[in-house]
Amino acid sequence: MSNLQLEIKQMIIETLDLEDIEPNDIVDDEPLFVEGLGLDSIDALEIGLALQKRYGIKLKADSEDTREHFASINALAVLIESQRAI
Amino acid sequence: MSTLLPLSDWLNAVPQGVIAYTANRSVSKADLERRVIFWLSVLPAERGQHWAVYHQDSAEFLAMLLALWQLGCTASVPGDDRPVTRERLRLKVTGFVTDFSDHLVPDELAQLNEIERGNWLTLADDFPALEIYTSGSTGEPKAILKTFAQLDSELAALEALWPDDHEAVVISTVTHQHFYGLIFRLLWPLARGQRFETEQWQYTEDLFSRGLRYQSFTLVSTPSHLGRFNTSINWSEVAPRCCSVLSSAAPLKRRDSLLVAQLLKAPVREIYGSSETGAIAWRVQSEPYDVAWQALPGVQLSQTENSLLVVTADQLSDRTFEMSDRVEFVADGMFHLGERIDSIVKVEGKRVSLTEVERVVQQSHLIENAKALIISRKRVEVALVAELTEIGRQTLALLGKRKLQQQLKQHLQNFFEPVLLPRRWRFVTQMPYNAQGKLPMDSLQTMFVTQAIKWPELVSQTVTDKQANLVCRIPAELIYFDGHFAGNPILPGIVQVHWAEHYGRQLLNFIGQFDRLEVIKFQQVIFPETTVNLALEYHQEKGKLSFRFYSDKGVHSSGRICFS
Repeated sequence: MSNLQLEIKQMIIETLDLEDIEPNDIVDDEPLFVEGLGLDSIDALEIGLALQKRYGIKLKADSEDTREHFASINALAVLIESQRAI
Repeated sequence: MSTLLPLSDWLNAVPQGVIAYTANRSVSKADLERRVIFWLSVLPAERGQHWAVYHQDSAEFLAMLLALWQLGCTASVPGDDRPVTRERLRLKVTGFVTDFSDHLVPDELAQLNEIERGNWLTLADDFPALEIYTSGSTGEPKAILKTFAQLDSELAALEALWPDDHEAVVISTVTHQHFYGLIFRLLWPLARGQRFETEQWQYTEDLFSRGLRYQSFTLVSTPSHLGRFNTSINWSEVAPRCCSVLSSAAPLKRRDSLLVAQLLKAPVREIYGSSETGAIAWRVQSEPYDVAWQALPGVQLSQTENSLLVVTADQLSDRTFEMSDRVEFVADGMFHLGERIDSIVKVEGKRVSLTEVERVVQQSHLIENAKALIISRKRVEVALVAELTEIGRQTLALLGKRKLQQQLKQHLQNFFEPVLLPRRWRFVTQMPYNAQGKLPMDSLQTMFVTQAIKWPELVSQTVTDKQANLVCRIPAELIYFDGHFAGNPILPGIVQVHWAEHYGRQLLNFIGQFDRLEVIKFQQVIFPETTVNLALEYHQEKGKLSFRFYSDKGVHSSGRICFS
């Protein structure tokens, strides 16, 4: 697990006030919503805000695109890396 | 004074032209009529039947609705399309409209229908246009019929209050499958001839870019979204185009209302109502006091002896309806909202019956008995306290708490929307009944107060007569890391001494008052998320406890605690 992945997991657990879950319990390429971690639409809004606050990431106004970025920890890491590169 | 188009004759009354916008194109009346004709041709429906309608696109949903009305059928509108919802509905409706999506229209029928276009049936005012569902207090979804007359009456009241902004395009974060969304993002715009977006948006970034597409727009949203507005967006770019913001489903926090009003430079109009009654009151918040709710035009309000709100209006099927909300009147038709008196609660604006949550979770072979409650942390959420069955206890022991929760959640998600699923679970051997045999809510609530973490996690321990060895994992959440030191947390020495004394007394069974420390050495710091050993030895004759924290890095600290 890379540092960025770990950082995102910690951010998610903290931001969403999740209980009974450790960073190690979250699988990098598992879906965050519904199956997998089982997050809901409100969690998605919160993650969006946290990404903005912590990494200065603005979501592109295209829900399809956002859905892809929010698919898993790995996808979020790619999003953060790509914005850093700019 | 009403200039509203009647919903019962809408297809004839609405002029040609654009009626809606998808993400990237417009939908004209002709486009819509083509879809209505398609549905008319494929649905094997007969007058008087009920058909279920679920579709994410508002224009397509509208085409289905209009086709059903032309066929003399009532549209049953479920809040979601989860399997259990469909199963329940199946018993009550003739069919599901979308099951016929792939049917082909015979050519001759299509031509015939083309000719009929523009010659639409006008329905009677007392025709039951809609059947909507909401959580009843027993948990079983309750069906509510709405006639055209009721709908028109509710829309007339809204129009009398807010007759402005017919040019504004309706942008929304709510689904038309819920009654609030159905009225505010679809039916009211239809009656006004106001254009609406067919998609439901989730993120504020989306709202920003959608808003930029139009000369003027209105936002139909909820406290869930308005309370999570991304303030780093340059809202001043889009603010001049925003006419108004509507919020309903739950009361909006004053802070959020004022923030959105300031960012969008538009009034934030809140609606209070229910699926049973439709919209009945409104307010626009301001500083510094809580603004009271005011009755909509044509709505009379009173209260029962126990302060429950009573609504009287033409838009109600029985003219009056008793709400489950307590109220406090401050003037005629003006009130402050209190709490609900039944087991229905609202989570992120969605109604859920706690009794129903308990009933469903108790269906699981893992659960003996369960109590659901609402807790308020970062967000308002459902929590659950449960006694496990024998199999449940075995599952817990074998798979752990998280896997057990996942199994139970999987069962629950067939019945409830994701935001209504319990986010916190406590598995107990016995519910905390008091001496009167009651289950006090506050003792359930306290089970969810997170304890400040003050101790290491004991991975293993070996104890002989006067010696003990503990393997301790140092959790990052320890309160002692707070501020010790910012950004560079290490375990304070005094805590190590305190732990040594605590575990010494607990495991080695001595008594005596703390007197002093001897030969204390702190050699290497202890970091969060590391594992260390704690060796303890009690020297009875001297009354001294020697301790040593060590790991594969060597000794972290050691010393003696003297007792008198």
